[in-house]
Amino acid sequence: MLRTLLMALTVAMVVAAGALFARRVAAIVGVMRTARPTLRTDRVGERIQSVVEHVLLHRRMFRITLSGVLHYFIFSGFVVLLIDIVETVGEVFVPGFTVGRILAPLVDIWVILVAIGILLALYNRLIIRPARFQGSDEKDAFLILGLIGAIIVGIVIHDSFFPFVAREVLHVPDPVAHAHFLGWGLSRLWVALGWTGPGAASVGYAFGYLLDMGVVLAFLAYLPYSKHLHIFAAVPNIFIRNLGPKGALLAKPVEESMAIRTFQDLSWKDISDLYTCTECGRCQAVCPAHAAGQPLSPKMVILELRDALNERIARGTAFSAEEPPLAGGVISKEELWACTTCGACQEACPVFIEHVPKIAGMRAALLEEGDIDPNAQKVLVAWDRQGNSFGQPARKRPVWAKNIDVPIKDARKEPVDWLWFVGDFAALDPRVQRLTQLIARLLHHAGVDFGILYESEANAGNEALRIGEYGLFEALALKNIEALNKAQYRRIFTTDPHSLNALKNEYRKFGFEAEVLHYTEAFLELIDQGQLSVSSVPVRATYHDPCYLGRWNGIVEAPRQLMQRLGVDLVEMPRHGAQSFCCGAGGGRIWMDETGITDRPANQRIREAMRLSNVHFFVVACPKDVSMFNASVTAMGVEEEMRVVDMAELLAVAVGLESAEETLLVSS
Amino acid sequence: MKIAVLMKDVPDLVEELEVEDGALPLDDMSFVPSEWDDQALEEALLMKEEADVEVTAVAIDTGDVDNMLFTALAKGADRAVKLVGDFSRTLPNRLRARLFAQYCQAQAIDVVLTGVQAIDDLDGQIAGLVAGLTGRAHASVVRDVHIEGSQVTCVQEYSGGKMAEMQLAVPAVLGIQAARKPPRYVTIAKVRQIQKSATLEEVEAEAGTAPLVTVRRIYKPEAAGHAEMWGDDVDAVAESIVRLLEDKKLLRS
Ligand code: SF4
Ligand code: SF4
Repeated sequence: MLRTLLMALTVAMVVAAGALFARRVAAIVGVMRTARPTLRTDRVGERIQSVVEHVLLHRRMFRITLSGVLHYFIFSGFVVLLIDIVETVGEVFVPGFTVGRILAPLVDIWVILVAIGILLALYNRLIIRPARFQGSDEKDAFLILGLIGAIIVGIVIHDSFFPFVAREVLHVPDPVAHAHFLGWGLSRLWVALGWTGPGAASVGYAFGYLLDMGVVLAFLAYLPYSKHLHIFAAVPNIFIRNLGPKGALLAKPVEESMAIRTFQDLSWKDISDLYTCTECGRCQAVCPAHAAGQPLSPKMVILELRDALNERIARGTAFSAEEPPLAGGVISKEELWACTTCGACQEACPVFIEHVPKIAGMRAALLEEGDIDPNAQKVLVAWDRQGNSFGQPARKRPVWAKNIDVPIKDARKEPVDWLWFVGDFAALDPRVQRLTQLIARLLHHAGVDFGILYESEANAGNEALRIGEYGLFEALALKNIEALNKAQYRRIFTTDPHSLNALKNEYRKFGFEAEVLHYTEAFLELIDQGQLSVSSVPVRATYHDPCYLGRWNGIVEAPRQLMQRLGVDLVEMPRHGAQSFCCGAGGGRIWMDETGITDRPANQRIREAMRLSNVHFFVVACPKDVSMFNASVTAMGVEEEMRVVDMAELLAVAVGLESAEETLLVSS
Repeated sequence: MKIAVLMKDVPDLVEELEVEDGALPLDDMSFVPSEWDDQALEEALLMKEEADVEVTAVAIDTGDVDNMLFTALAKGADRAVKLVGDFSRTLPNRLRARLFAQYCQAQAIDVVLTGVQAIDDLDGQIAGLVAGLTGRAHASVVRDVHIEGSQVTCVQEYSGGKMAEMQLAVPAVLGIQAARKPPRYVTIAKVRQIQKSATLEEVEAEAGTAPLVTVRRIYKPEAAGHAEMWGDDVDAVAESIVRLLEDKKLLRS
């Protein structure tokens, strides 16, 4: 009787929950099928490896210790829960079924760990209340914690009654009664209360069974409507993550348009992303635009898209062109234009959601409607007409190379060993030109055979692409590739991380695959090969990783080793390497209106450096950083306490081209 | 209602003007749409958003105007017309105006918009000339153009912050000072796509003759006075500024 009842209920619940689950998943998969293609099933070995690293080992999760630990408890609890489900259902459906004395106590151990996990989660959400949860659906989070709590309570309750039910009702042995030590402990209470007869035990057992299995199945039905779909979606989403190259915004040349207007314009991985978001807010916590007080949160971009898609699925309009556009409708243009494309969000996301391609695609849609910041528009026109963001004639590009005392070869006319791709800022910004000339003198000093493309070099197009202007990016890229192909050189290096990213990652889709180095890598090599001898520059300094060097291209060691060779005492800021904090200039932001910014990211970064004890030098390795951070220290009136120094200046002092006094490389 | 936007391209002043043998080496220079014509186009496109009008961009084939016209189409113009014939880069405005006037009359254009000026206007501005030749109502240095029945209204701004709202009966010719909004951006891809899918209408035209001016020579002005450099010492510069203001009696004590 008890068995029949429980079996009937279980089957009914499985069918109902399974149907609800399947209906929902089918709707989502239906949208994925109509979305844009992207290749995410190649390199299976690497993909499995990354699942192991990020699911089993929780690598990114542990970056926030408390959350990592509590999540690990609960996550592993779900794995162990499978043992319980097999056991529980088995006991009812197959008389005498048991998982054995080894697996059974594991369930109890994990009940304790999950309980601790839940308590820590409550502590985190109620007491610590990190700002990253702002905007997340906290009710959902508590509901889920409650459901998980109910399941573990149910487990202990049915385990505690099972010995009596086994003996009195089912007439089977219960060899694991003691092994379920929590249930065994609780069963002592039933003995004391006298609830061990067939009637009481059956009621108690059925209650525990339904609390466990009923909630598990309710969970299953509810999951796909909640952020906890990530329990199922995270593994495949990590499996289909972008394996790189990281810095390539687009893997292939675009045929029609990169604009994202509808859900069909997203890739199927993008759709998967929406349903994998855990609302953890780690992306929001590292977003410079969010920190600057702008209306952008990468988390909210994902959630707003997901909610809109859910509403459309519910209304049956997921494929309708009548719905408001994603760009400027679902996601406001203020949000979209605030992004610096720094990639910190993607780097932080434990389930490998890709925010930047979505944002760039939606920007492209805005741009196609002519919606762009007027200043940035001028820059686009300047890139198109003059090939640089300064609106200077192309002839002016190599002017910095004219009035210096070292000869600079024209790589278009004679072969060179190293071809230097200079970049707009290094070539044309009056504040940076001095450093560019310094690098030329350093190369000359090291006896490097180098040259530049003179006026044939154009902006690399990295930012044009990130503003959403694919056609312009392509035109610039093809122009540069043509010039590069005509030149003879062994390898390329660049002073500008943004150019580096374009040359190294974005030009591949046009078949350009030359080796490209950053100048910090190049100079490190020169020193290590004994071509450049350096003396020590014993200053205490911190180093700012440019987003397009450290995060997007993983070049974090070379600049540090270079500083080490120079004898610099490097003191790291809390956010460094791939976790560096953007200066606020990327993705075209440097040319856009700053209205709405309450605290500039560059200023925040300088304050971060100033909290280090006794550090007065802020070393940068990106021309845009030179101008961004110099502007910040000036605006903040802290030039005396914090001096922005380019790596080239350190090198110049180390090789004796300039004195420490000249470059103000002396602690004040 | 039919609107025509008369457009031309002019040397890109980003490039420094070189003078060779008393003339500009036009063949070596790069050309861009005249910025006021761009404003006129934008105003026309904004008018299209609020009334039932057809916008035609018109340019004279004095070189490479195709891209400018395709861009106008990509931005939203309904038609693009190239007036073809034997025209050089230095076609004077008097002749340009005749070509435009013929076209506007033949096509019965209701409202003609064009930039109030261009950087190479040597012999008068196109708007006034076209209005004169076609005998149409005309206002220049205007903005904020709207169509109201068979009238157009626009605004002229005077010094001292005074404004005049004016009304003209169509057909009319307006010299646009600025559009209501900055000219829109159009992506390279969109222009390329239009280049593939659309064609420019070519209309044969003949300029005839007109009294012309000729440029005798182009030269750099002789410096009348020399700037005095005050250096970069903040205190000294501040003192010099104060002294200058006192000398010019601009400081009250
Ligand atoms: S790329 Fe950077 S600025 Fe853009 S959303 Fe992500 S964290 Fe924020
Ligand atoms: S996108 Fe990633 S990091 Fe951001 S809230 Fe969602 S899961 Fe967390």
